[in-house]
Amino acid sequence: TIFGQTNVTGVVTDEANALPLPGVNILVKGTTTGASTDFDGNYSITANEGDILIFSYLGYATKEITFTGQSPLNVSLSEDIGQLNEIVLIGYGTTTKKDATGSLESVTSEDFTKGNIVTPENLLQGRVAGVTINTSGAPGSGSEIKIRGGSSINASNNPLIVIDGLPITNDGVGGSRGILASINPNDIESFTVLKDASATAIYGSRASNGVIIIVTKKGKAKFSADYDVQFTFGDIDEQVDVFSADDFRALVNSQPINGTTLNTDLLGDTSTDWQDAIFRQTVSAVHNATLRGSLFNVLPARLSFGVTNQEGALLTSKFNRRNLSVALNPSMFDNHLKINVNANLAFEDSRFADSGQIGAALRYDPTQPIYDPTSPFGGFYQHRNGNTLLLGTTNPVASLLQTNNQGDANRFFGNINFDYKFHFLPELRAVLNLGFDQTDGNTDNFSVFATNDDVTANISRSFQTRKNQSLDGFLNYKKTFGDIETDVTAGYSYQRFTNDGSFSGNRLDPLSVGDTFADPDIVLIGFFGRANLTFFEKYLATFTYRRDGTSRFSEQNQWGNFYAGAVAWQLSEEDFLKDSETISNLKLRASYGITGQQEIGERDLFLSRYRAGNENSQFQFGNTVIRSLIPSEINPDLKWEETKTLEFGIDYGLFNDRISGSLNVFQKDSEDLLFNAPVPDGSNFSNSIVQNIGNLRIQGIEFTTNVDAVRSEDFNLNFNFNATFLDREITELAFGQDVTTGGIAGGTGNFIQLFREGEAPNSFYVFKQLKDAQGNYIEGAYVDLNGDNIINDEDRYLKANPDPDVILGFQTNLEYRNFDFAFNLRANIGNYVYNNVNSSRAQYELLQDNAVLGNIPTSVTQTNFQRTSDVIISDVYVENASFLKMDNITLGYTFRNLSNVIKSVRLWGGIQNVFTITEYSGLDPEVFNGIDNTIYPRPRNILIGANIKF
Amino acid sequence: EDLFENEGAYRQVIAGVYANLALTGTDGAGTSNIEGIDAGTSQFGRVLLYMQTLSADQMIWSYENDPGTREIQRNIWTAQNPLILGMFSRTHLTIALANNFLRETTDEKLNSRGVSDAVRADIVEYRAEARLLRALSYYYMMDLFGKANFGTETDPLNSVLPVAETPQLFEFIESELLDIEADLVPAGENEYGRADRGVAHMILAKIYLNAEVYIQTDRYSDCLNYCQQLLSSGYSLADDYRHNFLADNNTNSALNEIIFPIVSDGFTTQNFGPTTVMINGSVGSIEVNGTEVGVSEGGWGGALRVRREFAELWQGGDFIDDDRNTIISDNRPIGIVDISDRDSGYIIQKYANVTSTGANGIDQTFVDTDFPLFRLADVHLMYAEAHLRGGGGSTPTAVELINDLRIRANNPNLISSDELTLDFILDERSRELHWEAHRRQDLIRYGLFTGGNYNWAWKGNGSNGIAIPSHLKLYPIPSLSLSSNPNLTQNSGY
Repeated sequence: TIFGQTNVTGVVTDEANALPLPGVNILVKGTTTGASTDFDGNYSITANEGDILIFSYLGYATKEITFTGQSPLNVSLSEDIGQLNEIVLIGYGTTTKKDATGSLESVTSEDFTKGNIVTPENLLQGRVAGVTINTSGAPGSGSEIKIRGGSSINASNNPLIVIDGLPITNDGVGGSRGILASINPNDIESFTVLKDASATAIYGSRASNGVIIIVTKKGKAKFSADYDVQFTFGDIDEQVDVFSADDFRALVNSQPINGTTLNTDLLGDTSTDWQDAIFRQTVSAVHNATLRGSLFNVLPARLSFGVTNQEGALLTSKFNRRNLSVALNPSMFDNHLKINVNANLAFEDSRFADSGQIGAALRYDPTQPIYDPTSPFGGFYQHRNGNTLLLGTTNPVASLLQTNNQGDANRFFGNINFDYKFHFLPELRAVLNLGFDQTDGNTDNFSVFATNDDVTANISRSFQTRKNQSLDGFLNYKKTFGDIETDVTAGYSYQRFTNDGSFSGNRLDPLSVGDTFADPDIVLIGFFGRANLTFFEKYLATFTYRRDGTSRFSEQNQWGNFYAGAVAWQLSEEDFLKDSETISNLKLRASYGITGQQEIGERDLFLSRYRAGNENSQFQFGNTVIRSLIPSEINPDLKWEETKTLEFGIDYGLFNDRISGSLNVFQKDSEDLLFNAPVPDGSNFSNSIVQNIGNLRIQGIEFTTNVDAVRSEDFNLNFNFNATFLDREITELAFGQDVTTGGIAGGTGNFIQLFREGEAPNSFYVFKQLKDAQGNYIEGAYVDLNGDNIINDEDRYLKANPDPDVILGFQTNLEYRNFDFAFNLRANIGNYVYNNVNSSRAQYELLQDNAVLGNIPTSVTQTNFQRTSDVIISDVYVENASFLKMDNITLGYTFRNLSNVIKSVRLWGGIQNVFTITEYSGLDPEVFNGIDNTIYPRPRNILIGANIKF
Repeated sequence: EDLFENEGAYRQVIAGVYANLALTGTDGAGTSNIEGIDAGTSQFGRVLLYMQTLSADQMIWSYENDPGTREIQRNIWTAQNPLILGMFSRTHLTIALANNFLRETTDEKLNSRGVSDAVRADIVEYRAEARLLRALSYYYMMDLFGKANFGTETDPLNSVLPVAETPQLFEFIESELLDIEADLVPAGENEYGRADRGVAHMILAKIYLNAEVYIQTDRYSDCLNYCQQLLSSGYSLADDYRHNFLADNNTNSALNEIIFPIVSDGFTTQNFGPTTVMINGSVGSIEVNGTEVGVSEGGWGGALRVRREFAELWQGGDFIDDDRNTIISDNRPIGIVDISDRDSGYIIQKYANVTSTGANGIDQTFVDTDFPLFRLADVHLMYAEAHLRGGGGSTPTAVELINDLRIRANNPNLISSDELTLDFILDERSRELHWEAHRRQDLIRYGLFTGGNYNWAWKGNGSNGIAIPSHLKLYPIPSLSLSSNPNLTQNSGY
């Protein structure tokens, strides 16, 4: 039968959100007849019944549909899960997943962690093997981000973060919550984490701790508008157990301290839960509006505006942010010149609450009231004798409410990127990127303190400005010669960081004077080159070289050379696997390279410098005050710390990439560590200076798997699992000497951790607690480990360390019709915490808080310890803090095709910080550096939100 | 180099050498330019007090969770002790700063910078003072460690320094002090806070008095000779014993008695040094008597107390009215069974952040009171001791010098020449000079520090005191310092 030709029409939409897709190519199979969709996704093509129509769109799975007379023929395309051709970012350029030889992982916006995400790094939490992100509970607070545990000891362990080609500094300014706090997560398109030396070496001197490349969202030709709103209701559901007022009275009356009689007259007659008093339920809101479209029909643009208002759980703390971001992405000269302009303005407005008051709330006498109308200290109860304050903890509620520490930070950051493809030689591109980042921070402090000093208040102000300017340019040549594909890049990079500011001093204190400062600028210059070669589409090689200079070191030492090489074998392209139904992708990788580190606190340690004392650190001759000058320590020999990374990896894909992932095994050796090590006394202006001494070895295994368990029209289920095994060991220290670290509360200058050769960094250095026959601790009695009958420093031993041995992450997304459901789990295994809350507080003698009474944790009833000095270094306070956490769980429903104006509405709800399973006895097993001395607790949040697309 | 274009910089830089005796860093009392010890605790006078006083029979520190204090006051220290490291490193830093000043003020450099004659005249004095501060530092290293990293201005920065043992140090200190004598300002005539000839003579008197300990040689006559010089240099005892320990001891009558202070000021020179520690620390846990000594009411809640043996020096009727007796004993047992029980053991009120006219110091924590590192009363006692040990002089003068101190303290019980014995002098030194960082040195000179001839409370980690081995006369070389200089060897016994 011969059918006549028919005009086929229809709409092509995105399966994920029912939005029309413009520019989809439609081809009648076996012919040259083609068409494409317009801005509204409409198409029209002539075809015969029985013809096969091919719908293809970049980044989406191509669909073939046999035309059987449907009218209209509507088609929905889903994003391509097969990732082989996915474009991935590498430093100064891009490659495809298929051609990548290094160890890198991308997370794009649709895979981001969902929930109450205020700062962008949390979008990545638990997503990428080897990446840990530890965020405090304070609103908008910064995070400790580590890739593979960090490769340094005294120098920075922060990864390099590159936003739209601009490497940003890790130093914040006063008034800001953190270096990423000013960035709106809603503006971020993707993260790419570079891990091995082959991937990172192009960033040479700053790549040892890995690189996180952040790309912000770009403008698109097609008009779209989005409005996102989210409300968060938070509550602190766990407290440190201290005695209630009644129990406290009973305890004080029982006189539990040997040799000391507590004055029971000091007991009050009310009852206050001080932790309840300083924490509150919070309401926070996030609004984001985004417009995308073509200006004047030629200039693709994106404009977004975000408002975040977050209340902190600790009384008075808050974080407000307004973000405005503009992206312009024009193309000119027939797409030979692409220009990307990103401009971002952020205004942070914070009130900082002193988290030290959490400790005060644990200590404050629960039998006393919050308010006292007769009190001269602002109507707050204080321990006092008439108008004289008694020595002891002060009222934490008063301290919070009477302190107003405001911070403002205004940040502008952005870049202009020119990408020019030569007219006469289209294989050659020249790229120029100019970046600028400036944050102006100021803090205003208006505080009243309860004190007996004449000056009872503080009004002070400080300003700080940090600037970061960068210029880089490179040439890229990409061409295929027969069976050899080449991709060569060479470029130059310049970056300058400045920092200056001023401090007003306390304006109410006539003796206090202001101060200004301007740090020496830091300049980094780099020359870099990279060659990617692919033979027969299956043998790949990459060579990278970078030469870097830093102003931190003297002229002889300021240049460092960093290089890396990698080879990969795309096994699945070999004939014997090419047609395998099971194995869709298999690539073996090996890489080796050297990266550098120069980021230490000192900016000019190689120079002779004198430091003048501040107003409180001067000397007197006769009656004259002299601004004494003291030379600072000098090390002219300082040079680059180097990290050598050897890595083997496998990328795999099974069943048409329904299951995919990778396995990496690596060893990193950091050598010539920038380490604060002793120098012969009397030979320098300190007993210890930063030197290149010591080695650190990190060994690890990373495993990732992504599973598309179900993929169908109505039902999609996928999950991601990642696991990291890490082992860090100090292989060499200066002179083989132990170095103490990990300062703790309870004693002046007390420490609990040690760096020692052959051990993990920051291992806990403690006494071994003795128990009696009944298994009770004997206070102050320790095992005489060296058997000399004296218990002294030589009897301390190393017990465990704060770093987990295993880090696990699991996420799942489920879509059923219009419902979507997601949750994630995270676990750390083998991480230990020193419980400084208990070690410095849970002893009966602390019921006497100088001249007054003070509360203590109820854990004292388990140990029956009397005195802090007897037990503070005991190993009983080093606890296993392995945990399993569910950070987020969300459920959403999408209404589609509501009207001509509103395309879709997604309503969703969720819970953040759902549960934590741990044996750790403190509030939260996730603490910074393994020392828990009260943390700003992470509230449990209930979230509701809506996403409206126009 | 730009720095010295301004000629005033020389004065600021020599002040920086002095400042290392008072300050720990340039950004307040909580900052430090040395590592391995708590910043505030690393103050020179503070660690000196720990080494010389806390380790002996006059003082107890209640908070043994402050690292190192337990091991020092119980005589069970090791080379890892942070306080010992603090002493070793802080003192060597003074040496490094002094050498730096000397390097920067050579004739060659001054010529090339075209320094004016007036400033060059000052620099002659400054250079002598830098050498004096260096000799002072070596004196303490010799006394406490028996050796030191030996660097002078001729050793370049960052060099691995040779080590000098006691004989070499003794000779160096002696020859340096004699060599700079002429360039130093005459005793008592320099600006307050700067060292003069009197300080040099004091150090000489000290090394000669202890020469039998250091170099096994009798130098008592040299000691007596320098005591006599000091006695005739224009110094005079303060009108009131307590003036030496008050907030205005830089201006009151103690000005004529204090030979060399460690400066402290509640605003401009804040530090956690010996006077700040002793004034805040001696406030009683029961008495809460901080306002009496010009600090916050509770002070540091009873951080410092005295040991039984010291308290017993004041017993009997002879010292009831003695101004030097500041013991508070009401409601307190004399003995300390449990060191952390701050209600046991007597407390004293020797130092105060209050002026001689009763005004409080400027700050309630950081005191204005300077620490009297050397003062004339010590010279009186040294004269008497050197005399008894065969150094010459006359017995009546010795008796008179002792009685001068008693008269000044309003103690009517004067001694006769029969009562002037070495044992008496040791006790009288403790009564006059307690908590002034002399006691360990005195006990070693008397052969009582180590061994079992004199066991004070908590000596050797026993509450009633037990014998300790003789190698504890010297402190161990701190392990960090030992490791960084391959020329150093550990003291025997450690």
